[in-house]
Amino acid sequence: MYTLLYGFYKYATQKDEYCILILGLDNAGKTTYLEAAKTKFTKNYKRMNPGKITTTVGLNIGKISVAGISLNFWDLGGQSELQSLWDKYYAESHAIIYIIDSSDRDRIEESKETFDKMIASESLQGVPLLVLANKQDIEDCMGVREVKPIFNKNAHLIGKRDCMVMPVSALTGEGVDEGIHWLVDCVKRNNFVRPPRNNENN
Amino acid sequence: MGGLLSYFKGLFGAREMRILILGLDGAGKTTILYRLQVGEVVTTIPTIGFNVEQVQYKNLKFQVWDLGGQTSIRPYWRCYYSNTDAIIYVVDSADKERIGISKDELFHMLREEELQDAILVVLANKQDMAGCMSVAEVHQALGLDALKNRTFQIFKTSATKGEGLDQAMDWLSNALQSRK
Repeated sequence: MYTLLYGFYKYATQKDEYCILILGLDNAGKTTYLEAAKTKFTKNYKRMNPGKITTTVGLNIGKISVAGISLNFWDLGGQSELQSLWDKYYAESHAIIYIIDSSDRDRIEESKETFDKMIASESLQGVPLLVLANKQDIEDCMGVREVKPIFNKNAHLIGKRDCMVMPVSALTGEGVDEGIHWLVDCVKRNNFVRPPRNNENN
Repeated sequence: MGGLLSYFKGLFGAREMRILILGLDGAGKTTILYRLQVGEVVTTIPTIGFNVEQVQYKNLKFQVWDLGGQTSIRPYWRCYYSNTDAIIYVVDSADKERIGISKDELFHMLREEELQDAILVVLANKQDMAGCMSVAEVHQALGLDALKNRTFQIFKTSATKGEGLDQAMDWLSNALQSRK
């Protein structure tokens, strides 16, 4: 009887869990973005001082609940020697957030090449992509209008998957909401291709 | 009320953080401990048992345990696991032969229930040696991509030269503070 009730309780409170991979070149603002997302969607979350965020070599995780599902973020290091580790996470990801430093015109081409290499991977087929033009708080940065054409050059690689370019400022938190909500709709729609992770297997 | 209480707790210094330094024998754990505490390189002998020191970093107090890493005494690590806030796992980046053993010990340790919430810092030590493994190689050799539910960070260090330890402690103290 207990087991039955407990099983029912678990069933009623269980949330579908989706894994989101945050990628981009080093210093694009991936960890700051993760902190901003955690701050927006977690009650009483004490945000880490953005000035204290250093280069990631490893993994930062974060979990938020939104719109009845739970999102599990993996934020990886972006330095070129660490990019070889990204593909280890592809098979289990339900969506990718790719972050661009819009204030760094010198490296936009490098960022685009890295992006192309990533989306060419077999194991990411059909996975929704959210491209974020970060650092919109910096004056004279590139807007979405400027970034979008650069990343759309290889539309054939993107193929049929959902792909969206949005402006964001991880530092001020502007635009974080919209991106997450778009992503939530996408992973829900895509769940017959990539079913959510079952909570009981964790 | 609770908020007020925790505010005052913060003012008068929170409880000491408990940190374990683990890794195979000869990885440099004891050298790192004393680098952190006195800022000097001390001559060490293989640790049988443990060394424990109080380390002050910025305004945080840590109680740091350095446990012996030889095969025969590794089973005793688990006696120290309860209430651990963070684990500093030290790897000898120049020892490619035993990195596999190091990986097994790491995963064996992380399976423990008591360490589920502990923060992990991996130190790729002995970066001053020629031909040592890079951070990406250490990441791969330790199979860290299998750790998907835990925040961790790898740092290149050279305990004898004192490089990389400050960055590691900086990151660790931030991670510990924002975790609460």
